[in-house]
Amino acid sequence: MATLLERLEANGISRRSFLTYCASLTTMLALPASLTPQIANALSKVDKPSIIWREFQDCAGNTESFLRSRNPGVADLILDLLSVDYHETIMAAAGRQAEAASDAAAKKGGYILVVEGSVPLKDDGVYCTIAGKTAKQHLEELSKGAAAIVNVGTCSSYGGIPAANPNPTGAVGVPSLVSNVPIVNLPGCPANADNITATFVHYLTFGSLPARDQLGRPLFAYGERIHDSCERRAHFDAGQFALAFGDEGHRKGWCLYKLGCKGPNTFNNCPAIRWNGGTSWPVGAGHGCVGCSEPEFWDAMGPLYQHLPNVSGFGVEATADQFGVALVGATALAFAAHGVAKYAQHRITAEPAAQPVAAGQPTEED
Amino acid sequence: MTILVWERPVRLIHWTIFIAVIVLAVTGFYIGNPILVSGGAPTDFLMGTYRAIHVAAAWVFGVAVVARLIWAFIGNRYSRWDQFVPVSRARRADIKTSFKYYLFMQRETPPGPGHNPLAGLTYLVLYAMFAVQIWTGLALASLADPGSFLWSVSGWTFSLVPIPTIRFVHHLILWLTLGFIVHHVYSATLIDVEERSGVLSSIVTGWKRIRPGQAGQAE
Ligand code: SF4
Repeated sequence: MATLLERLEANGISRRSFLTYCASLTTMLALPASLTPQIANALSKVDKPSIIWREFQDCAGNTESFLRSRNPGVADLILDLLSVDYHETIMAAAGRQAEAASDAAAKKGGYILVVEGSVPLKDDGVYCTIAGKTAKQHLEELSKGAAAIVNVGTCSSYGGIPAANPNPTGAVGVPSLVSNVPIVNLPGCPANADNITATFVHYLTFGSLPARDQLGRPLFAYGERIHDSCERRAHFDAGQFALAFGDEGHRKGWCLYKLGCKGPNTFNNCPAIRWNGGTSWPVGAGHGCVGCSEPEFWDAMGPLYQHLPNVSGFGVEATADQFGVALVGATALAFAAHGVAKYAQHRITAEPAAQPVAAGQPTEED
Repeated sequence: MTILVWERPVRLIHWTIFIAVIVLAVTGFYIGNPILVSGGAPTDFLMGTYRAIHVAAAWVFGVAVVARLIWAFIGNRYSRWDQFVPVSRARRADIKTSFKYYLFMQRETPPGPGHNPLAGLTYLVLYAMFAVQIWTGLALASLADPGSFLWSVSGWTFSLVPIPTIRFVHHLILWLTLGFIVHHVYSATLIDVEERSGVLSSIVTGWKRIRPGQAGQAE
């Protein structure tokens, strides 16, 4: 089998551009630049680890994202380093043949299980059935022999949009079903292709998953909030806000906080690595962050164009401030009425005779 | 006859908390919904300033609340913890008396020169709200630096509850606190008018006039 370098050359990609790519990955992984040669070395020698990529309740958006990696020439070959033994969207096989490929890879063990999409649990999981087995059964079987699980996208990480209220299928993320395999979550709707690639590269180079936070996200990608690395942050601190799409502030590139930007609620590296080969990213393009990579996206992040969630119940929906004003106003009115009533009580009733208060008095203490 | 009900630290803490809450409310409302928008002067630092004041006032508030909790164990009988947590059967019985007064079933004001047991209970609820407010505030402040000590203490909150929900709770408690102030001022005024005991001025001077029947309860 040809080594990576030989294949790179056969594809007209110089060693130099390969090293450049490795250097950018080193930076992404927040590793010291001195490790670049080690990464390049490890990658050029790596022996094809098997990948089983399973799609459950998903939209294939992460697959789409992944297929558009930043540096197609080299990245494609990196992906070529992985033996993708099962992937519904891109595999040639179908039907029994496809399942046989998955079974064969599973039997060998030691593979990376990539999961895209949430797992429905309601009604015995019938809402996502592939080759006669429910998503839950597939996950149980495949997680047994997996060396690691990589959850791509918010759905497999936390349940995502299928799990949004009223969650008709009882959807959950993978971490709530599997616990005995190392798991890395790459939430996002979709997950950024560069973060997916970097996670694989880390695994290929060091043989382990990258360091993760309390929610299982790699720190190199989710170690900081959007808000804290946003290019509009100076406008936030200055109090310069766009008030409507297309207004003067918006045209000047001011902060989108008042248009409901969820950057202050979202850990991700979009401002740093951007999207589609570093072209742009949502806030850069003039739309607030929607918080797609946080737990309980979609429910917790709504309404999209408001900073705070609404208060709802009894068929009424109000903003938190409308609710607050009503609450304080009602309290004031109620006490005003109470005062008037107390006054009336004193006017109407006679001076108190012996009151039961006396009984309560010595009880003041002890 | 007048007695010293609220000792100096209690009064000092009361007014510290009051001022801190007002500052926190004004700056907090701005942070939640910045109504003042800079015209674009390069030196403007509106949100930054409001947030800095908010954080500073929050520390003052937090220290005052903790000081009051400590004082609940070393202060006089009217500031002690058992004025708020109705552990004695007698105080629990007096909750009913107080309710009766407020529900027009009784003319006589609730017993005691200190907090009546019902009022004590509302302060317990208020302090529970304060605890949630301080906690959510610390957690939200820690978001800016997940490597910090603050984050290692409070960051786990966000594994349980999403960040926007925590913001929402923090915002609602601000409104509830303002609602409490309305109730607090009204009730104090009402009791002062009824008892002529000087409840209102007592939080400045510390002294209250007590009824002859209450004399036995003085120090
Ligand atoms: S645009 Fe959003 S993420 Fe950027 S500074 Fe404003 S609120 Fe923060």
